[in-house]
Amino acid sequence: MSTIRPRRRFAAGTILVAIALAAFAAIGLAACGSSTSSGASPSASTAAGPITVTDSAGNTVTMQQPAMRIVSLAPANTEIAFAVGAGGKMVAGTTYDDYPAAAKSLPKAGDFSNPSVEKIASFNPDLVLITGGVQAPLRAKLVKLGMNVYVIDPTTYAGVMTDIANVGKLAGTSAEAQKVVATMKQAQADVQAKVGSLAKRSTFIEIYSKPLMTAGTGTFISDMVGMAGGTNLGDSAGAGFPNFSSEVLLKDDPAVYIADSGSMSKPGELSTRPGFSSLTAVKDGHVYVIDDNLIARPGPRLAYGLQQLSKMIHPEAYTTQ
Amino acid sequence: MTRLGRTSAWPGIALAAALLLVCLVLSLVLGPASLSLGQLWHFVTSGPVPGNLENAIFWQIRMPRVLLACLVGAELAVAGVILQDLFLNPLTDPYVTGVSSGAALGATIGIVLHWSGLPWTTMLALVGGLATLGIVWMAARRRGRIDIFVLLLAGVTISYLASAMVTVLMIQGNQDMRAIVYWLMGSFSGRSWGEVEIALVAVPFMIVPLFFTREMDIMLQGEKRALELGVEVERTKRLLLVTAGVLTAIAVSVCGIIGFVGLVVPHIVRLVVGPSHRSLLPVSLLAGAALLGIADLLSRTVIAPNEIPVGVVTTFVGAPLFVYLLRRGRRS
Repeated sequence: MSTIRPRRRFAAGTILVAIALAAFAAIGLAACGSSTSSGASPSASTAAGPITVTDSAGNTVTMQQPAMRIVSLAPANTEIAFAVGAGGKMVAGTTYDDYPAAAKSLPKAGDFSNPSVEKIASFNPDLVLITGGVQAPLRAKLVKLGMNVYVIDPTTYAGVMTDIANVGKLAGTSAEAQKVVATMKQAQADVQAKVGSLAKRSTFIEIYSKPLMTAGTGTFISDMVGMAGGTNLGDSAGAGFPNFSSEVLLKDDPAVYIADSGSMSKPGELSTRPGFSSLTAVKDGHVYVIDDNLIARPGPRLAYGLQQLSKMIHPEAYTTQ
Repeated sequence: MTRLGRTSAWPGIALAAALLLVCLVLSLVLGPASLSLGQLWHFVTSGPVPGNLENAIFWQIRMPRVLLACLVGAELAVAGVILQDLFLNPLTDPYVTGVSSGAALGATIGIVLHWSGLPWTTMLALVGGLATLGIVWMAARRRGRIDIFVLLLAGVTISYLASAMVTVLMIQGNQDMRAIVYWLMGSFSGRSWGEVEIALVAVPFMIVPLFFTREMDIMLQGEKRALELGVEVERTKRLLLVTAGVLTAIAVSVCGIIGFVGLVVPHIVRLVVGPSHRSLLPVSLLAGAALLGIADLLSRTVIAPNEIPVGVVTTFVGAPLFVYLLRRGRRS
């Protein structure tokens, strides 16, 4: 027995040291976090009273003071946080974050489809920006742990602007967020001026090729195709991102075929698929590849995506000047 | 009934052939852009015309797809008959030998590699399936004999191993997850003449077992009894196993893993025409083709322009039919 006692004492001592170290680390991290965030946005402290916004999923999010430690669980969310000037408050992102460049060096809270609650909690965030779909069940778990969760899952271009404005409010950087929104509104107005009066052109968006998948109703991509002067063929297949029969595609014969760069690397690939060389879009050379970061990520860069879409759907509106 | 088991096989075969013909015509006519019988005749006689959209739909998309579904259905049904007999187990389907899992591993490797030029996914699936057949074969060979039970166990084990590797590749190649999942579910979507050509290679393998119907009938009574009756059991077993394995590997490589056809078609046909292989084999071949043809027709039309996975349809169509026939069979 005598040999066990000192061991126990030693164990207790180790635990005490560990607790002390953890406390120091926590204080140190907190100090770090607050110092960088206050440095990044001095306006944060000026906001007074609770901030209340409604996220894309319809949840009310209330924060007593602007967020200081933000975790993003989607590359688009990270982009939004940086765009509204809250990059300095970001404590973790996802493994897929690649824009802006500064986002790449952030600590990672996980990948997009398998975020770990434990890992997220370890960053001690006061605001977590998640998305819908696979991440929807995550919200309840994070809220239970006392975190503020904002769901960014917009279904329209306007919805993206709303989310950007709301993230700006939560981060205490509304002024910068409003600038981003203004840029997006300007892009919308420019496109409207160019193609608003032109006849709508039947347009197919390829999101994925094996199997052929498109963007249907209730997606911001479909919304943007409409704004850019097209009618989205994918709407006929239902909501979300449905598969699309190649037989129907040939029958409906869209005037313009736009593939996401994640699905197709060059327009020439299309004519090698069985039957596709008979498509009007292929024969007339109206097949395009668009950078998927510009149309598939609900973030500020959708403004460029919208402009590119309208140039692809109505090139004549841009060549005359 | 004067000569037991010698009733003619032809009425059953003729009926199944008629069923397949109806199914072929329906599948070729119906679709998002439906044709009249006159148009069907026109397209068939005029052949492929480049640049014409309707013609391209018919010749480049619908025709190869319908043919492929029917070929695969026939291949799986024949493989199912053979393996159920060899294993003397009614729950056997063409996938127990592990060939399908090996093919799935090959296809997954093909998908994540993103090689261009050749249809690598199909080719690697075929290689994976045949390699698995070889491994299982070697595991089951004991002193010149093939031990059926070892073969079954080795097949199941290889299946698990290959599935585990597919899972690892799926997690690694995250952006290809969707393609892999859809491949594993089985589909004729996006398939064309290239796949049909590969599936056609299986035709001789479907014909060979038709010459061994007597041996197969006798072997149903057990290997020992078959030996006593003068059947060259080992030779027949080897030939049939390779045939079933190759049929399965080819079928899986062109369209992924489609369940239920290989399991249930032989049972349905047995309930209708009886266990004699002179009827069972050819009728299963034709009925398998018809069932998968109809299933694919439903899969591409019911919720068009979206598609229901064909494996789901085969189950929805086949399960009630099977239960009905089981009940009817028990009553008589």
